[in-house]
Amino acid sequence: MCEHGYNGAHASSRTHPWRADRRGEGPALIAAAVLAPLVFAILAAPVAAAAGKARAGLAAPVGAALAGLAFAATLYGWLSGGGVVDVPWAPTLDLRFDVALDGHAVMYSLLATGIGFAVLVYSSRYLPLHLAHERRPQTESTRFYFFILLFMGAMVGLAMARDLILLFLFWDITAIASYYLIGYDRHRHESRYSALMALLVTGITAVLLLIGALMFYVAYGTFSVPEIAGRVEPGALLVTAGLLILLAAFAKSAQVPFHFWLPRAMAAPTPVSAYLHSAAMVAAGVLLIGRVYPILAQSDTLLAIMSAAGLLSIAVGGTLALTRDALKQLLAYSTISQYGYVVLMFGMGGKYGAVGALFYVIAHALAKSALFLTSGAVTEATGESRLSRLGGLARRMPLLAAGSGAAAAGLAALPLTIGFFKDELFFAAALAQGGFFPALTVAAAVLTLAYTWRFWAGIFLGEPSGETREIPPALVAPVAALGALVFAGGVFVGPFAELARSAGATIYAGPVGSVEPAYHLDLRPENLMALATFAFGAVVVLSRRYWRGVALAFARLGELAGPDRIYELSLRWINRLSYQVHNYEVRDLRGRVAAVLVPAGVLIALGLAATPADGVFEFGGVSGSDVPLLLTLLAASVASLAACFVRRHIMLAVVVSGSGFSIAVAYAFFGAPDVALVAVLIETVLTLLILGTLRLIPRGVLQRAAKIPPTYLRRKVFTAVLAGAFMMAISWSTLSQGTPEQNVAEEYLRLTPEAHGKDAVTVILADFRGLDTLGEITVVALVLLGAATLLNRGRLP
Amino acid sequence: MLVRVVSRLLLPPTLVIAAGILVKGYAEPGDGFSAGVVAGLGILLQYLAFGRGSVERLLPPLVPGVLTFAGMLLALTVAAVPLFLGDPVLTHYPPPGTKPIYLGTLELITAVSFDVGIFLLVFGFTAGAIQIVAHAQDDERDAATASPPEEAA
Repeated sequence: MCEHGYNGAHASSRTHPWRADRRGEGPALIAAAVLAPLVFAILAAPVAAAAGKARAGLAAPVGAALAGLAFAATLYGWLSGGGVVDVPWAPTLDLRFDVALDGHAVMYSLLATGIGFAVLVYSSRYLPLHLAHERRPQTESTRFYFFILLFMGAMVGLAMARDLILLFLFWDITAIASYYLIGYDRHRHESRYSALMALLVTGITAVLLLIGALMFYVAYGTFSVPEIAGRVEPGALLVTAGLLILLAAFAKSAQVPFHFWLPRAMAAPTPVSAYLHSAAMVAAGVLLIGRVYPILAQSDTLLAIMSAAGLLSIAVGGTLALTRDALKQLLAYSTISQYGYVVLMFGMGGKYGAVGALFYVIAHALAKSALFLTSGAVTEATGESRLSRLGGLARRMPLLAAGSGAAAAGLAALPLTIGFFKDELFFAAALAQGGFFPALTVAAAVLTLAYTWRFWAGIFLGEPSGETREIPPALVAPVAALGALVFAGGVFVGPFAELARSAGATIYAGPVGSVEPAYHLDLRPENLMALATFAFGAVVVLSRRYWRGVALAFARLGELAGPDRIYELSLRWINRLSYQVHNYEVRDLRGRVAAVLVPAGVLIALGLAATPADGVFEFGGVSGSDVPLLLTLLAASVASLAACFVRRHIMLAVVVSGSGFSIAVAYAFFGAPDVALVAVLIETVLTLLILGTLRLIPRGVLQRAAKIPPTYLRRKVFTAVLAGAFMMAISWSTLSQGTPEQNVAEEYLRLTPEAHGKDAVTVILADFRGLDTLGEITVVALVLLGAATLLNRGRLP
Repeated sequence: MLVRVVSRLLLPPTLVIAAGILVKGYAEPGDGFSAGVVAGLGILLQYLAFGRGSVERLLPPLVPGVLTFAGMLLALTVAAVPLFLGDPVLTHYPPPGTKPIYLGTLELITAVSFDVGIFLLVFGFTAGAIQIVAHAQDDERDAATASPPEEAA
C-alpha cells in the first residue's frame, strides 16, 4: 500500500515551528498580519463562487470586495513591518509552509489585488455584454469570476512563498486558472487551442522549475530560497539548476523562444488579457526570477543568459508589435518586449538593475492594464478590433482618450508620467554595465515609443470612421483611474519608488537606498539618452513607409519557421504517436493486459540476467508443519491452471477467485493475519464486481468473445508463460535471500508499542506513514467522484 | 426466501463486526480499511437479496458520497490539527511515553479517529461503487426494454 516516505511523527524532534522575525510583538499577532492578505486572496474565489450561485450578479461585487480587503491587508502588513510565518508541516520530507510579507511580496500582492480590483469592476459591466454577444446565459459569469479570483489568490501565494515546493504549487495553480480563463469562450475552437497551448508551454516548463528545486535540495538539503542563497556556491550545479528555473520563468513571462503562446492567448475576453499581462500570468515569471534572484545573481553565466533572453525578446516583440493590425495582438507583442526589459534589467544587475526591474513591473502593470481595457472599450463601442479600421475617436470619447493617452505616454516613457522614471533607471543600469548596453537600451526604448504611438494615434487621431455606440461608464472609469495613477506617479514618484526599493532590498544583496528616481534639469547621460529616444522615436514613426516591408517580412519568417510552427508540428507528431500506441494497447482487454505483462517480464528477465545467480535460487527444507501451507498453495496452482481451460466467463471468474482465496489462506498460514483479512475482503468484492459486470454484457457478445482464434491463442500463451516464469523466478530469488541487517520492518515493530499500538500494520497505516495513507484515501475519494460523474453523463451527481 | 431472511438477519451483525474490527484495530488484526470493506459487503448482500429500491430506502443515494467526503474531512482534520498546536502534520496524541486515557480496555488515541476517517471513506466508497453499478444495470435494462427489438438483439 505504501511505497516510500516515512512520516515518523514520533521520531522527529519537537521544536516549536512558529517562528516570527519581529521583535516586541506576540507571534500570533504577526502571523495574523502576515497571513491576512493570503487568506483574503485565497478565500475570494470560493466565496465569490458561492455568492454567484445564490445570485449571478453577486459574484463580481463580492469578489471585488475581497480583492479590496486583501489589498488593504497587504498595505497594513507592509506598513506594520511585515514578517515571516514558517511552519515545517512535514519535517521528515523537509517541506515547509514558509511565507513572508517582505518588500518583494508586498509589491506583487498589491499589484495582483489592486489591478485585480480594477479588472473586476470593469468585468462587472464588460462580461454581461460579452456573454450576450456570444449568446451565452448570464449565469456563466460566476465561472469567470471564480477563476480570475483563483488566479489572484495564487498570485498572492506565489508572491509570498519562500519555499520552492510551495512556489511550484502556486505556480501550477496559476497555469490551471489561466487555462480556464483563456479558454473561457469554450465553444470556439481557437479559444480551446490557445488555452491548451498556454497550459502546455507553461505547464511543461513548470516541471523544469521542480527539477531545479530538487537539484538544489539534493545539494543543500533545503527548499528554502533564503537558505539556498546563503549556501550556494558558483559552479556547474548553480548554472544548471538556475537555468532550469530560468526557463520556467521565461516561458511564463513569454520570453523568446517561448513567447508564441501569449499572442494566441488574446483569444481570452479582454479583462482576462488585461490581468494576465499586467499583474498575473506574465508577471509571475519575473516574480519568480525576483524571488530566486539572490541565488541566480551569484552566477555571471545566468546573468548573461538573462540579458541575452531579454534583449532578444525586446527586439522580436518590439518589431512584431510594429506590424500587427489587431489591437490586442499589438499589445501582446508589446508585453513580450516590455518583460524583455525587465529580464534584461535583472541580467544587467547592480542596484539600478534590481530596483529598476521591479519599478518597471509596477509602471508597466499600470500602463498596460489601462491600454488593454481601452482596447476592450473601443471594440465594445465601435465593433472594430483592427487599427486599420479605427481612428478619430478622441473627439467622441474624450475621457477614454485622455486616460489611455496618459497610460500610453507612461509606456513610452514620456516626462510627467511614471514611465519616465522606469526608463531613467533602465538607462542608469545600462550605464553602470557599460559596453554596448547604453546603445541597445536606447534602441529598445525607441521601439517602444514607436509602437505605443502607433496604438494610441491609430485609435484616437486621424479621420473618424464608422458609428460609435454608447458604452457603460464602468468601462471607462478604470482606464481613467489607471491613467490618473500613471500621471500621478510621474509627479509624485515617491511612494512607487519606495515600494520598488523595499522590494529591491529583499532580493538584492547590496544597499539600494541611493536609488532615487527624480527629475534632473541637467545634461546627465540618462537625460541625453531619453532625449535621443524621443528624437529617434519621432524619426521611426515618420519613416514608417520605409521600414514597414522589412518588419512584415520578419513577421512572415516567424510564421513559417518560428517556434509557433515548431510547437504545432511537434504537437501533431506527438499526438500521432500517442494514437498509435493507444490503438495498439487498448484494441482489446487481452492486448492491454499483455502491454503490462510482456514489458514487465522482459525487464525482469534482463534484470535477472544482469545479476549473478550464485546462491540466489535455493530450496529450503520442508517440515511436517508446512503441510497445510503446501496444500493451500497446491489449491491455488490447480485453480490457476484450471483457469487456462475454462471457456465460460462466469466459470472463469469463479475459478480465478478460487485461486485468490487460496492465496489469502496461505497468508494466514504465514502469520500475516492483517494481509489475509484484506485479501479475503478484496477477493470477495472483486469477484462480486466481476460477476455483476458480466451480467451487464449481452449473452451473445460473451459467447463470441469466448471463441479465440488459434494464432491469437499462441500469442496469449507466450505472454502468459513469459510473465509467469519470470515472476516466479523473481519471487524465488527474493525468498532465497536472508533478511537484511538493517530492516525497516524491525524498526516499525520496535516503535509500535510507543505509538500505543499492538498491531504493527494498523500503526504503520495510521501513524508512521499516515501522510501516504492520507494521499491514498484522497485518490479513493476522487475515484468515486470521477466514476459517479462519468456514469452520470458528465455531471456531478 | 431463505436468502432474504438470512440477509436481513446478517446486516446488524455485519455492522457490529465492522465496528469491532475498526475499534480493536490497534491491538489486533484489522483496521479502518477492512472494517469499511466488511460493512460495504453487508450493503452488497442487501442489494443482491432485495434489489435497488429497498436498499435505497435504507441508504439514500446521496449518503455514500457524503460518508466518503465526511471521512476525508475527518482524516484531514486529524492531520491538520497538530499544525495549530505547533507540531508537524499528522502528529498523534498522546505522545510516546505518556499513558493514554482508558475507556474500559479501549485506549483513547487520535490515531483511532484517523482510522475512523478511513473507515467512513472506504465504506462510503464501497457502497457508492455498488450503487453506481446497480444504477448502470437498471439503466441498461430500461434501455433494452425501451428500444426496438432489432436494436436490442
